Amino acid sequence: MVERKQEIFEEIVTRFVELKNTSELMIDLAYSSLMLNSKELAEEVERLEEYMDKLHTDFELLALTSDFKKEEASGFLGLIRLGVATEKIADAAAEMAEVVLRDIEPHPVLKLAIREAEETVTQACVTDNSPLINKTLKEARVHEETGMWVLAIKRGEKSLRPKPDLRIQLGDILIASGYAEGVDDFKKLASPEHL
Amino acid sequence: MPKFEKIEYKPIPVHDLLLEMKNLSELMIDLAYSAALFNDKELAEDVIELEGRIDTLAYLLDMEIMIAARDAKDAETLIGVSTVASAADKISDAAADIAAIVTRDIGIHPIVGEIFEKVEERLMKVTVKEGSVIVGKQIDELDLAARMGVDIIAIRRNKDWILDPEETERVFLGDILITRGAPMGIKEFKDIAEGRLTKLED
Repeated sequence: MVERKQEIFEEIVTRFVELKNTSELMIDLAYSSLMLNSKELAEEVERLEEYMDKLHTDFELLALTSDFKKEEASGFLGLIRLGVATEKIADAAAEMAEVVLRDIEPHPVLKLAIREAEETVTQACVTDNSPLINKTLKEARVHEETGMWVLAIKRGEKSLRPKPDLRIQLGDILIASGYAEGVDDFKKLASPEHL
Repeated sequence: MPKFEKIEYKPIPVHDLLLEMKNLSELMIDLAYSAALFNDKELAEDVIELEGRIDTLAYLLDMEIMIAARDAKDAETLIGVSTVASAADKISDAAADIAAIVTRDIGIHPIVGEIFEKVEERLMKVTVKEGSVIVGKQIDELDLAARMGVDIIAIRRNKDWILDPEETERVFLGDILITRGAPMGIKEFKDIAEGRLTKLED
């Protein structure tokens, strides 16, 4: 029984971590879409918003059906509220992305002066023979090699935050930004045989 | 009843206001999750206090936008700025909601924190105490990332917050450092900052 409980909690935490990371990735991508005035990134944020809705429902259902005891109800309510907060964060990110999708003239203030806005956004699929397969982002040194920064990694329905210890897999789609000169090198690195 | 700050117009550039709202709201999310998962009341109260700061910034930014809009074209470009500011405000509200799980004694099942700690990095609040070897040192001299995989993401000095501190920022006695890293690393760093460990090892 105790073991089963632990299993259920592990599953709930896994789902929560995905909610949390997806909502945070959405904020990053939303700000990037504003800075770079990129519809591509804004659309990815909108897509993730829908995906979040699904994740969030699954998370709530799991929490509600984990047959907790009466005295544990408060701890489960706390969990559910955490989920609601991630959803709210995701909504806020989607609202930012909408500014780009509605063709609102990009005000210079929105560049937020983090990086120059002369950068472009590109994506590339990791194909056979790519030296990136099975490397962590830290080992892959994408920025050193190509000048492009990885903003997100799309893996099936999911999108992952580019954490240094995240391992790149065959079939991943890397979304990156940087100066136009780096785009070809970046694509060649991810899909060596398609250029 | 919370105490509300009186809003008075101050000429601060829109850019500065927006950037501070962005940075603060992001810090608040990190702080709020840590407060909730590790049931840290003090940290939760910090988050709620920062929420008030964001509200003030939002008012100031709205006023700047009203002054800046002279015609329809201005209004068209400024609406994007106000939408983004309001989204940052919503993010900070969500962070405050998370913090409220702790301050209202709802709490989160303790097993959740334990499991979470295994899969994700955590945040810790560390107060720099007398006798610590890091007092007076610049952040880059400490080389925390390489030594123990720890990052200082914010410094609380008296009532002020220094977000994402520069490498050349110095650490003072009494600073409260918000650090992020693997549990082992930040535990070691806490011992160093509080003066229990007196050697920075490589």
